[in-house]
Amino acid sequence: MIQTSGLSKSFHDLHVLKGIDLRIAAQEIVVLLGPSGSGKSTLLRCLNGLEDPSGGSLEVNGIRVDADMPASKKRASFRDIRRDTGMVFQQFNLYPHKTVLGNVIESLLIVKKLPRTEAESIGMRLLERVGLADKRDQYPSRLSGGQQQRVAIARALATEPSVMLFDEPTSALDPELVGEVLAVMRELAGEGMTMAVVTHEMKFARQVANRVLFMDGGIIVEEQAPEAFFQHPQSERARKFLNQLNER
Amino acid sequence: MNLVGDNLFFLLKGAYYTLLITVISMCFGLMIGIVVAVARLKGNRPIRWLARGYVSVIRGTPALVQILVVYYGLVDYGITLGPLTAACAALSVNVGAYLSETFRGAILAIPKGQTEAAYASGMSSWQTLRRIIFPQAARVAIAPIGNTFIGMLKETALVSVITVTELVRSAQLLIAQYFVNMPFYLGIGAMYWVMSTVFSWILGTIEKRLSRAY
Repeated sequence: MIQTSGLSKSFHDLHVLKGIDLRIAAQEIVVLLGPSGSGKSTLLRCLNGLEDPSGGSLEVNGIRVDADMPASKKRASFRDIRRDTGMVFQQFNLYPHKTVLGNVIESLLIVKKLPRTEAESIGMRLLERVGLADKRDQYPSRLSGGQQQRVAIARALATEPSVMLFDEPTSALDPELVGEVLAVMRELAGEGMTMAVVTHEMKFARQVANRVLFMDGGIIVEEQAPEAFFQHPQSERARKFLNQLNER
Repeated sequence: MNLVGDNLFFLLKGAYYTLLITVISMCFGLMIGIVVAVARLKGNRPIRWLARGYVSVIRGTPALVQILVVYYGLVDYGITLGPLTAACAALSVNVGAYLSETFRGAILAIPKGQTEAAYASGMSSWQTLRRIIFPQAARVAIAPIGNTFIGMLKETALVSVITVTELVRSAQLLIAQYFVNMPFYLGIGAMYWVMSTVFSWILGTIEKRLSRAY
């Protein structure tokens, strides 16, 4: 479903990703762990072109992008990828000038060009799924962080993506609101969605992930099943990372 | 003040031209402003430089000179514009430069996450601007646009020098006829003030409505 080879990303002379070879199969749930600055968010953002990869290539659901493609062709390929992937951000990034339902159906109206009534019925189904159907006419500023993030998940699901990318979806939430967002993600995982998740929620990683990737310094240091990773981390860096988490 | 009352119709006709020039110049200025702002933010290098040059020249020269260039200067190249057309053209180009800066600032004030969310959902660059960025930027820009509008209303006085019979020139024509100054100048001053106040009130209402939306 997702494959990268030799993927790299530099900002001027700062090398954030140094040759990532990644494979995520359909219906697989992969959690990316690692200290801040390890490149995990950048990797996620390269997959749908929010960051422009500097080297290597990637393929998402059969659409291939090479870093050295001509710019216009690259843009077009990334746009095709984005139509088939959903992304959830740390800061939610809901459109403040649109209602909850308006947020969810925007891409249906504009990208898929569905008629409004059809888009709204799809939108309402999604809002019911994340338990926020009663908020359809509210503006995002009236919602709690957890509710906003659930709307953002519904919005990302609107175009029926085959892959969902989560970029620290619970990091900006108050602790008591994390659970409701993780619950929605768990449900999604149970339905067989392909997911790549950058998170610091170790319990979620342990219980839901099929595979854990541990990144540090722009490379994938370790790649294991969650139980194995948390009980017997192979690398010194992963051990140190887990120890620091346990000390909190 | 009786003189003003007797010639009120003539002065109102001048006020009509003042309003007409203001509204037309603002409409075209808004269009120019949006295009130039987008050109500066999204254009390739030559387009960005062109847009920057335009803003720099217009903001760096007096509006009066710009009006003279359009009305008298272009005649040398065989382009003869009527006074009203020249006035609207010069002021549109003038106010467009100022508005483009307002729009650029307003667009830059919208968090990057908004663009990213729209891109991630498959929207194109243009769709993102139109559906996500412009509506939010409009809210930021409305107050400075209002200021520019009121400024424009008063700046139209400049076009009296190219024989457009707006308020100032109407007054001058009456002064030449009656040989008294003060009543006419006070009269048009009052008319400018009334118009600015009405516009301030209208713009204030729009601003309130926009900020209530979310």
